[in-house]
This record gives sequence, structure tokens and C-alpha cells, in this order.
Amino acid sequence: MRYYARKTGYFLLTLWAAVTLNFLIPRLQPGDPAEVMVRQLTGRDGEIDPTQIEAVRAMLGYADENVFVAYWKYLQQLAQGDLGVSFTYYPFTVGEVIGQALPWTLGLIGVTQILAFLLGTFLGTYAAWRRNSRFDSFISVGSTFLGNLQSFWIGMIILFVLAYELGWFPAVGGYGYTTPGWNWLFVADVLSHAFLPALTLMVTAPIGFILGMRNTMVQELGGDYIRLAQAAGLPDRKVALGYAARNALLPTVTSFALSLGVLMSGSILVEQLFDYPGMGRLMGEATSNRDFPLMQAILLTTITIVLTASFVVDLLYGVIDPRARKSR
Amino acid sequence: MANERTTPVLRVEDLSVRYEPRLGTAVDAVKHASLTVSEGEFVGLVGESGSGKTTLAQAVLRLLRKPGRVANGRIWWGEDDVTDATENELRPKRWRDVATVFQSSMNSLNPVVRIEKVFTDVITAHSDSDADAAHERACELMDMVRIERSFLRMYPHELSGGMRQRVNLALALALQPKLVLFDEPTTGLDVVVQKQILDEIRRLQAELRFGAILISHDMGTILDFSDRVAIMLDGEIVEDVATDTLLTGGPQHPYSVHLLGSYGELLGEDVEGYDAAGLKAVEEREEQVAQIQEAVEVPTIVEITNLVKRFERRRGFRVEHVDAVTDVSLTLRKGEVTALVGQSGSGKSTIARIITTIESPTSGQVRYHPEGGGEPWDITRLNRKQRRVYGNAVQYVFQDPYAALNPALTVAYQLSRPLQNYRGMTKQQALDAAAELLEQVGLTPAAAYLARLPHELSGGQRQRVVIARALAPDPTLLIADEPIASLDVSIRAEILELLQSLVLRRGVGMLYITHDLLSAQMLADHAIVLQNGQVQEQGPAKEVIENPQAGYTRELLDAIPNPFQDRSVA
Repeated sequence: MRYYARKTGYFLLTLWAAVTLNFLIPRLQPGDPAEVMVRQLTGRDGEIDPTQIEAVRAMLGYADENVFVAYWKYLQQLAQGDLGVSFTYYPFTVGEVIGQALPWTLGLIGVTQILAFLLGTFLGTYAAWRRNSRFDSFISVGSTFLGNLQSFWIGMIILFVLAYELGWFPAVGGYGYTTPGWNWLFVADVLSHAFLPALTLMVTAPIGFILGMRNTMVQELGGDYIRLAQAAGLPDRKVALGYAARNALLPTVTSFALSLGVLMSGSILVEQLFDYPGMGRLMGEATSNRDFPLMQAILLTTITIVLTASFVVDLLYGVIDPRARKSR
Repeated sequence: MANERTTPVLRVEDLSVRYEPRLGTAVDAVKHASLTVSEGEFVGLVGESGSGKTTLAQAVLRLLRKPGRVANGRIWWGEDDVTDATENELRPKRWRDVATVFQSSMNSLNPVVRIEKVFTDVITAHSDSDADAAHERACELMDMVRIERSFLRMYPHELSGGMRQRVNLALALALQPKLVLFDEPTTGLDVVVQKQILDEIRRLQAELRFGAILISHDMGTILDFSDRVAIMLDGEIVEDVATDTLLTGGPQHPYSVHLLGSYGELLGEDVEGYDAAGLKAVEEREEQVAQIQEAVEVPTIVEITNLVKRFERRRGFRVEHVDAVTDVSLTLRKGEVTALVGQSGSGKSTIARIITTIESPTSGQVRYHPEGGGEPWDITRLNRKQRRVYGNAVQYVFQDPYAALNPALTVAYQLSRPLQNYRGMTKQQALDAAAELLEQVGLTPAAAYLARLPHELSGGQRQRVVIARALAPDPTLLIADEPIASLDVSIRAEILELLQSLVLRRGVGMLYITHDLLSAQMLADHAIVLQNGQVQEQGPAKEVIENPQAGYTRELLDAIPNPFQDRSVA
């Protein structure tokens, strides 16, 4: 039980650190966001009326206050889910903007990640079991090669071939001319739009799992308990899956959460490329428009997602590895 | 006891195993080996590391992995020729005909499943017994190796090393195999635990009458246990005789003579035809020591009084204490060897680490008496200059010569560096001195060794280099931490002889740390027996060993088999 309590403690602590950093960073950087916003709204480079800046500041909640008071207010607002107002989508709140984009990204990345994990683990296991076979060489060399390609470059090729040349899939957007709602037509539309971005991510996403799984599994296969299982005449399937793969899976599960972060950053470019209405595209917009509240909120959301994922994985690790539960 | 009429449980004929790596040349790890094990027979297989005994075992188990392959010869399990059998043909025979207990008990159980699962996996793979029957059998087996049945519900990491090896033993017997192959089953366990496991093996073997092969580099155990002994050298079985014949009639092959002789020398037994390494007998040595000590009053080098070392370990908010050393006092003098004997965890290495100032004591004092008299120094409060003097005076000989030398540097460099650092020699002087040191530790001609890298040397040669390096700063005290434990049997006596001669010739003091009372007897003047950080017994080595007072000392002594005596009594 102590294991779970400690993991929860760590999770809360990291989350708090992330939230606090998120509060501090914009206050440390040069330039006044309020001024930027006024310039943006008025479109002028010259002098600005200070009262305008004051007004915007008050509106954004950046009034002159003690840092601690501001921090406390910030925490309170955060607890209520109030992340401020977006500059770009004024007068919509950041919460609303993100609420619109998040499901798209979660759907795209969640599905890709799980598929990548399953496929990668399976291929890695098989390659390790048949190590030094032709299949193994093909998988290993192929993975190393593809792993060095950039996802947006792959995306452009895919976009060009499958969308423009062949026209099998729509090139941009999250859905076409159907009306959103829970009906087959819309779901099919969403799926066909999501296919190309997902495919792009899927080219590189499983590679980490393949190589990781293959290498740990090869190592596990050299273990004494494997030799013992073979000497005891257990069926190959049992040795490969129940013994070697079961143990090799442990580090791979850890990398699941870490690679989620990598996948999310990869999705920024891919979503922009396909003009997919998710968090990645939003991030691009927020950055180019200096939309600080939105950027902050996206950052916070991303961190929370990755943290939560690794927290869940940690808890899961306690279940699948009995040794972790007891360790100090 | 071998019944001539029944088919032997294992027959190996003219077996050669060749490793053919993709790069590099092919190596024959086993050459034309023949071995037969009859029903209920106990065969011991001895040889040094690299002699091919484990490869032979792998081949016998049909577990050879690429790039190794059987190049020649045949293997029978009972009546079946399994040399070329496919895995599918082998599978039903495995564990029924030949079961095994592996070397490292740590990893031979699947770490993520409960112990019971391993049993049921094995049992159900070979019979159509259901889960209940398998559970029943697992419980029986646990009773057989005398472990509580409730341990079946545990994970391997929750068991001690000895327990795990018992579980492995139980597992090997799950299907009542005709032959069990023990591949160094006690390596990595404590002496006393080793003894327990071996006793268990012997008891079960006598009870169940399975054929057994025991692979070991421990001559004592092999002689003690086996009906027949096979000795391997460079992949060949050079001797294969009944144990009694080996002990009474003497071995035939020169290597066996050497192996048995150097083992016998430690026990103080003579083996015909063996040219002794020259360990001085106890009486002779005492005489010599007495002479040295008579001449001058023996100066104390290091004096330890009421030493306590307590380790703290944080667990959440609680702090746990472990007392590694409790109230130990001892004096190390010039020209004397003090043996610190105990199992792992007895605190003997902690004491060594405190003397070398790697650890600091929790309480108690360690005082160094500088040469040329003067007030003793408290080693926890040395100033820069004193620290330098003390660092010179106390040198360490490590246990594992494979890890103690930097693999990328030549012998010359590793020896001349301390000379340059500590004795301020120029490079050329240091090289000359290094050559002299090599001669002193018996590596002649020195020129042949100076330019070598550690991997070009054998284990014994490496240990000699380690000793030479320790001698380089001209120390007054050597701390030898299990200096022979990781060496092959046949060279242990030589290294002990070297250490002994250094004490006698150079008059250095020595703290000899060991788990092995036998070697302590050969080398030490004083013996201190430690258990859980407490001194169980101390006094002149001869008395402690010949007339042990503490129960623990007797336990340690019992763990040493003496086949020579057993046989002569019987």
C-alpha cells in the first residue's frame, strides 16, 4: 500500500511544481502581455495610452498585486477551471477554446499511441523470439531507418500521395460537410479525416516500442529462468509470452507514458500540416499570436495529461511487477 | 552401486562441442568427452573456469545456443539418442529424463510470478494433472525440501538465496527425473548455507536414487559427494575414476595430481607425486615468526578498540539501524597475520573499510602507530601529511583480480603509478622498481609482463599483479580481502604461499579476511571469528581451529569437507 501512497505523493508534488512553474514563467519573461495585446487590438506601433494597458490588464487579471496574492488567486481560478481569456479568440475563455480542441487530439493521439504500443510490442516480441532471422533484421534495420525521419516530412509525402494524387482521403480538417452529432455519417467522416494524420504518426510511433521491446526481450531470453523453462520442456509459446515477454514488457510500459509526450510534440507539426482542429494546431496559433493565456493553458493541459499517464503507468507497474511494490 | 545390467541414465560418447562465431575463429570448448551416469550414481565433474564443464552440461541438456553446436559424438538420455532430436521430440522427455539446477539461484525463477505458478507450469506441461493435483504435488515437493508450503504464495524476490535454491531443487524433482544435473548449485551462497543445500542434495539423492552430476570447482565437495569423479581440462575429460581410487591410489593425469595436491595441501595432506607450492607447515612458520618477534619487540601497526559501526537506513519516516560491527577490538602487528573469519554480512569487510578510511567508525577508536615511534594517530583525524603516510602504510589486496585492474592500462603503468605518486620516483626508476616488484611476486622474467594488459594474464597472474601493486608503496600493513576466493582451486595454494612469504620476508603485517577457516589456518597467527558484527571467538589461529569454543566456529568448520579424513576413518 505504501507504494501507491508514495506514487500518489510524487504525482501531486510534480503536478504542483508544474502548476507553479506555469504561473512563474510568464512573469519572468520580458515584455508585458497586456501591452502586446493592446498593440494587437489597436494595430498600432506607436505610443499607447497607458490607461488602455491598465484596462486590459484588469480584464486579464494581471492587475498590480503582490506576487503571492496573485499566486493564490491563480490557484483559486485554476481550481475552478478558469484559465483566463484567450487573446486570439477573445472573448472566448481559454477553457472553452481548449475544450473544443482537446477531444480531437485525445482521439488522434490516444488511438495512435495505443495502436503503436500494441503493434510495436508485438513486432518487437516476434523479432526477439526469432532473433537474427531475416524478419528480425528487416524489422531492426527498417525501424532504425524510419526512426530518423521527421513526422511532418512523412506527413507531406502521405498528404501528396494519398490525398492529392490518389484522392482517397480528405486532406485537411477534422470533418467535412456533415453536421456534428452521434450518427454514422459523421463518425465515418471524422474517421476518414483522422486517417492520414494518424497514419503519419503511426509510421514512427511504434518504433520506440519495437526496438525497446526487442532489446529487452533479447536480454530476458538470455536469462536463467528462460533456460530453466526450456530445460523443463515448457511449450515455446509459454516460454516466449508467459516468461520472456511478460518480463520484457516492464520497461516498455514505463516508456509508454514517456513516449506520449514525444508523440504530443510530434503532433503539433502534423496537426498543422493537416489543419487538424486539435491542440497541436492551437499551440501553433497561440505561439504565432503571442496568446500567452492560451499557451500557458495548453502547456498545463499537456503536462497534466503526460503526468497523469505516467501516474497511471506507475500504478499499473505496481500491479504487473511484484518487485516494485516492495522496493524502497 | 551402479547396476551393470540397466541402461545408464545418461551416456555421452566422444562428444565435441564447437563454438563457431561469425567473426573470429572456431573454438572447441569440449573435445571428445565421454561420460556415463548409471542409475542412482553420483558423478562429480571438476575443472577450472573455462575448462568447458558448463558447455558440456549445456550440450547434455540439449540447451546449446548458437554459435555453439555439437560437432561430434552422441548423447543418450536413457535409451534414446537425443543428439539430433528436434525440440518437439525432446519436449516430453525434458525434466522427466534430465532435470537441472542452475548456477545462479537469483535468476532461475521467473521474477514476476508466484512460485507456485512455476511449479504448476512445469507439472501441467508434462502431465494432464489439473490445477489441484499440481498444487498438491507442489506442496509435497516443498515438504521434501523442508520449506513451509505457504512460501508457494510468494514471489522469488521475497525469498533468501538459500531458500530460492531449495525451491529450484524442489522444482528439479517435480517429475521424478532419472538424472539431475547440478551446475555449481551453491555458487554465490554463504558457506553455511552452501553446506545446508549440499546436505539437502545428498539426502534427497540417497532417498530418491536419481542419477546426479555435480559440477563444481570445489574439490572438497566433489570428493565428499561423488561416487565417481571426472576431471576436465581444456575441454577434455582427463580423469574419470571412482572417488576411492582417486583418494587411495592417487590420480593419474598430471593435472589431476596438481588439482588434488593443491587441495590436499590446504588440508595438510600429502598427495603422491604433487610438488607442493611450498606453504610452510604451521610449526615451521611459528618458529620463524617467533624468531622475528624475538629479535625486536613486535611493533603494533594498527590498534582497534571497541569499534562499532552502525548503518542507518531510512524507510519512509522511520530510520532503521543495522549494526554491522559491534564492539570489536584487535591489534595488528608487524610480521603477523590476523585472520578475520565469517560469513558474508558478518561485518568483516566493514572493518577493512574502516581501517582503510573508506568508512568512518560510529564509535570506538582505530589508532595507527607510525614507524619510528611517537604518539599513535587516530585515523579519523589525520592531517594531510599523516593521511599520506597512512595511505602508504596500509594497502589493500582485492578479492576479484578481474575487477581490480584497469583493463585499459598496462601492468607497467598500473605498477609504476603508485611508485611515482607515493615514493616520488622518476618514470625510469618507477619502471625498474615495478620490474623488481613483479619478480618479488613470482612473475619472472618481469620484462615479459610489464607491457601486458590485464586480459592477457591468467587469474592467478592478475592476482599477483594486484599484490605487487599493493606492495608498491612499501606498506607495513596489507589488507587482503578474500584474495583467493575468486581464483581457481589449483592456484589458490600458490597465492597463499606468496602472501605467506611476503609476511615472512618483508615483515609486513596482514589482515586476512576470509570465510574459509582452512586457508586461515595455513596463513594466520591469530584468528577472529565474526558473526553478525560480533566477535564469537578470538585467539591464536591454531587453537581456534583445532579446539573451537564457539558453536559458530564449529559450524564453519563443519562446512569444510575433508574427504581425506572421511575416507581414512572409513
